[in-house]
Amino acid sequence: MNEEIASKIKKMLVERLRIPEEELEYDSELFGEDIGLDSIDSIEIIVGLEDLFGVDMSGSGKENFQSIRTLTKYVEEHKED
Amino acid sequence: MPENLKRCVVTGLGLVCALGDDAASCAASAFSGKSGISEVKSFDTSSCYSHNGAEVGLSNEELCKDKFDRTTLLCIKAAGEAIADADLDLGSEDKQRVGVILGTCIGGADSIDKYYSDSFEGNQTDRNDILRMGASAIANNVAFYYGLNGITANIVNACAAGTMSLAGACDMIRAGKADVFLAGGCDSFSSLAYAGFHALHALSEKPCSPFNHSDGITIGEGSGVLIIESYEHAVARGAVIYCDVLGAGVSSDAYHITAPRPDGEGQMSAIRRAVDNSGVDFKDIDYINAHGTGTSKNDEAEFLSLQTLFGGRSDLSVSSTKSMTGHCLGAAGSIEAVLTVLAMKNGEVPPTSGYQAEDMDELMRKAGGIGFVANEKQAKDLKICMSNSFAFGGNNASIVFSKEARGIKSSRNNDPIYITGIGEVTGTKSEGASDYRADISPEVFKKHEVKSAFLRKLDRFSQIQLLSGIEALADAGIKVDDNNSGDIGIVIGTSDGPMTEIVNFQKLVIEKGVENGSAFMFPNTVYNAAGGYLSIFTGIKGYNITIANGFQAGLQSVMYASEAIRRGDEEIMLATGTDELTDIEKELYDNLGLTIEGGNGMVLGEGSVTLILESGASAASRGSRKYAQIAGYATARHSVPYGTAEGTEEALIRAISEAVSDAGIITSDISVIYGFSNGMEKLEEIFGDAVKKIWDNKIEIRNVRSETGEARAASATLSLARAAKELKESANDYSLAVSFGAGGIYSAVVLKKA
Repeated sequence: MNEEIASKIKKMLVERLRIPEEELEYDSELFGEDIGLDSIDSIEIIVGLEDLFGVDMSGSGKENFQSIRTLTKYVEEHKED
Repeated sequence: MPENLKRCVVTGLGLVCALGDDAASCAASAFSGKSGISEVKSFDTSSCYSHNGAEVGLSNEELCKDKFDRTTLLCIKAAGEAIADADLDLGSEDKQRVGVILGTCIGGADSIDKYYSDSFEGNQTDRNDILRMGASAIANNVAFYYGLNGITANIVNACAAGTMSLAGACDMIRAGKADVFLAGGCDSFSSLAYAGFHALHALSEKPCSPFNHSDGITIGEGSGVLIIESYEHAVARGAVIYCDVLGAGVSSDAYHITAPRPDGEGQMSAIRRAVDNSGVDFKDIDYINAHGTGTSKNDEAEFLSLQTLFGGRSDLSVSSTKSMTGHCLGAAGSIEAVLTVLAMKNGEVPPTSGYQAEDMDELMRKAGGIGFVANEKQAKDLKICMSNSFAFGGNNASIVFSKEARGIKSSRNNDPIYITGIGEVTGTKSEGASDYRADISPEVFKKHEVKSAFLRKLDRFSQIQLLSGIEALADAGIKVDDNNSGDIGIVIGTSDGPMTEIVNFQKLVIEKGVENGSAFMFPNTVYNAAGGYLSIFTGIKGYNITIANGFQAGLQSVMYASEAIRRGDEEIMLATGTDELTDIEKELYDNLGLTIEGGNGMVLGEGSVTLILESGASAASRGSRKYAQIAGYATARHSVPYGTAEGTEEALIRAISEAVSDAGIITSDISVIYGFSNGMEKLEEIFGDAVKKIWDNKIEIRNVRSETGEARAASATLSLARAAKELKESANDYSLAVSFGAGGIYSAVVLKKA
């Protein structure tokens, strides 16, 4: 996993979605019991990733939104250098 | 016909929206199914996925020659028409008995956009724009413009605000607090709302299609104003009466901050309350002007609610005029009320526009036998009509109009109301700081089992309100459950609302474009989000309104909450005062020149104070501990330009005199007064003069601001909380809390030892 991308995503989630930093691990289940995100948050994540990396996740599968780790993987695969 | 001494009647109508510049031209379009929706002109939407709006064709200068925020200007225009239509000669009216109560969602969003755009572009900012930002200014400005000195209030419950304001006007008339109201709602077409609904993907790509394609809303702007007066007052001045306003119903979903309950329970609760309070039966309703926004979630829930309550009634007509006016947010309910009243007068039902031939089978299926009126008006004798509004925060409102005089269920009582719980969140001043700020670290919330997944959604304003609400319920020993959730309500008072979240959202839109609004922040930009979160967390499902009306809103909330108990709507009410303080508010108050840093004497604070008000019957059955009894209350104003207080002393004296008289005592019965001095010279002078005139300085004076700063509405409620606590421990019989609001408005509440 690209640590630099992951830490940027974590910072973005903390700032945009007011998730307490200490509760957010790379493998925390974002939309489940751990963090409890919802559909409005997913819109905010899509905008945040577009801003940070120019990667458009709209319409991409739910499995990519599971955790910071899966988001990082998606960004790595779709980022244009 | 049952005897009805509390009739409220509509005698004048004013309307401006995308359909036209006055009620007649709007009606001509609405009743012929002609839409006012076109391409947005106010700002560039080329990077957005939707480009539709329902804007008013008039510029600010064409609306009114004076300078106010556009939301206020729209209202001044509609109010002028309503006053003329009612043939209301303000010159011969007792101006202290003519009030203004308005609904708004976005308040002065246009001025917020302008101020921060100037700042972003490096231009000189205008102090007047700061005064125009908040919802608190609107009713004050309209009252000032027309020279009115009756009760004013801004009801800020997002898209239900325009309906709630009409109900609020009737409540105050029936409580004897006023004879006439300019009542309605107003909202301008703003980048704030457009960017917000765009971010939520809630805008329709094409013109909105309520009860049909249901693929999103089209935002509109406008204002509807109704002259509502007591029947006796209307008759005495020989007014022509359009109709009676019967009862209303207000409820909360306690479900989600933006989405309605899919099962329609909250909507149905508001409708049931309105029908019940009106003393009518479901089968008596001839026409419903539905909320009908055109989002799939709203339309599905509303179809379900209407089918459940009115199922199979082919003689009931239903339509959504938003298909033509767009969704005018806080103005929506007032615009729809004007069209509903005209429907009764003309004997015609306005249609929902926009159906194609191929849509009709599907409409028949969804309508469940109810007469949804499509594309063309329907000729029909309408005797009793309903208008419904449902909002963000899960707030629902329903109101009933009757062409014929009818009795309402009049159940107002004067039984004692007690303060049985107090929750105080106040600020402290750390070393070297210039203001008082509250500790709202996550640990504070963990104590009350607020999970971080819930808490992180809330902005600072909502967080402090949630905390004081929970603490007050705990202090009163109240557990909300299925048995009592509908008997408990909320009235929040605020001066500045969630201004930090609003400004942060607007700054993002200015910097990154209207297509880049934050979906996360937007739900918190509505003033009633705090009340919504409080109801979601606690499960409270009753009455729920938020009043933005300067610092004194923290006492005015007590008046509105008490009236909800007096009417028998609720047994228990949470009455609050809440205002946040961040560097954003600090900078705005500095730039207004009101703080010490800005050159005047105010030291800012923040906080939220919630009082539990309880009916005597409920307090007796629960064995509640009583802090004090609410003995009397009053609001009085002397209209001056917003942001000033000069020349308003008589209104303070009047507020005190009326509150004391409401309590059935004389001023010398009062031992302690909690005042409102905050370091501002003019206010100290006004307060000092009143105390000298009324008590010749022979009364004990207290002030909570020396410990907690000027926390605005929170300071007003804190004054009453501290007065109640002191009364409980002392030998005194009565005490009094007073507060002021910019523009010359004062509230006073008298407490009696319980």
